Amino acid sequence: MSFEADIVVWLPVMKRYARALTGDPTWADDLVQDTAERALSRWHAFRPQSNLRAWLLTILRHLYIDQLRMHREIAVDDETAPWNRMPAPPGEVDTLVLRDMQRALYRLPVEQREVLLLVGLEELSYREAAAVLKVPVGTVMSRLSRAREHLRALLAEEPHRKGSALKVVRTVVKSTP
Amino acid sequence: MNDDRDYAKPGPGEPDLLALSALVDNELSAAERAATLERLAVDTDAARRVADYRAQNAALKALFAMPTDTTRCLVLRRRAPWWQRAGVAAAWLSVGIMLGPLLGPTLVSVSALVLGSAPNWLASRLSTDQVAFAQRANIAYAVYAPEQRHPVEVAADEKAQLVTWLSRRLDRSLMVPSLQEYGYALVGGRLLPGEAGPAAQFMYQNAAGERLTLYVAQFSRDTAAVGLLSDGGRNTFYWANQGMGYALSGQVPETHLRPIALDVCGALGGHPESWR
Repeated sequence: MSFEADIVVWLPVMKRYARALTGDPTWADDLVQDTAERALSRWHAFRPQSNLRAWLLTILRHLYIDQLRMHREIAVDDETAPWNRMPAPPGEVDTLVLRDMQRALYRLPVEQREVLLLVGLEELSYREAAAVLKVPVGTVMSRLSRAREHLRALLAEEPHRKGSALKVVRTVVKSTP
Repeated sequence: MNDDRDYAKPGPGEPDLLALSALVDNELSAAERAATLERLAVDTDAARRVADYRAQNAALKALFAMPTDTTRCLVLRRRAPWWQRAGVAAAWLSVGIMLGPLLGPTLVSVSALVLGSAPNWLASRLSTDQVAFAQRANIAYAVYAPEQRHPVEVAADEKAQLVTWLSRRLDRSLMVPSLQEYGYALVGGRLLPGEAGPAAQFMYQNAAGERLTLYVAQFSRDTAAVGLLSDGGRNTFYWANQGMGYALSGQVPETHLRPIALDVCGALGGHPESWR
């Protein structure tokens, strides 16, 4: 396998992480493109024995932080924000819960969001996440914990949701005969 | 801990919360895990938190499914690496040896030379010549031919759209030859990053599920030479014509692939007579 082919293999992972991080499919596509380009131009810096996925996510995350400064901040309650225009996610989880989750996710500070996505979504180990974020493992742990507690609090604020629990349930709407 | 808004305060409760997270993330040792589970049995608040954390993870995965069909716009642009800009490198010596036979209309197998001289992932970047081109085609075959769910980005039932799209991306009017007479039907195509710009990969499949790919990209050096690259049971015939490089790959014997490649070469305006 060539280096390029290895990168191609990780494209879906990069794209998923980029989408989750930005909440914006267009921005995510650009990020993945930029990441792949940068990875290819720096291939000599990559040690073949090390973790290519973590290396790619590191580059992606670095570019994201760079670009974040250039992007206009979008108010979280802005109806035109990309994540409010994302198609409703399919699946077995209550769509309303996911909407709340989506909104809450982008209200997290970026350093909480990125660690939550690396561990909770991409299932990186704490050590891998620490390497990607270039912080100690302890920092990963405390940021992650805060992200989760922060999310619980945000979800508890949602007006139509009682209690603090984010429940993964299936809504079954039945019309009464 | 009955205040859900204590997330921002690193307080005495934090170590407890870290353990709950670590439980969810499978980061605890066996002993720590057992102790934490014991605690959950009596601490309903902690148990609820763990359930919430797990639900958060589940929601994230539901929100962000792995994209499977959205890579069509990816084009990798690469600056020439230093050794190309410098124009000389030790590697060129070995490439020169391989290129010699290629300049004549002789079929040669070069894979052993290429792959034997450097680590695999390094070998493919030794030059922009035909061998590298063939390797890219060969690798693209290895990556996508086994793919069951998404072997192509655009399926053959949208053939006109497929050809238009790839022609636009490659900035060249592309033709897709029919391989029906050999029992291979077009499955579809995809866009891939090539050395000097985008590349198109068309995939064919026969009734037995065996696949061939035709890899097409701009290739400036025009030469009548044709090459054969054999690697990992895959064979790739490659040639160039009028500024385009072509490679036909398959996990089939050379003798099986060769007549098909000859036909494809002819169908695409090449000169298969020079192969003999």
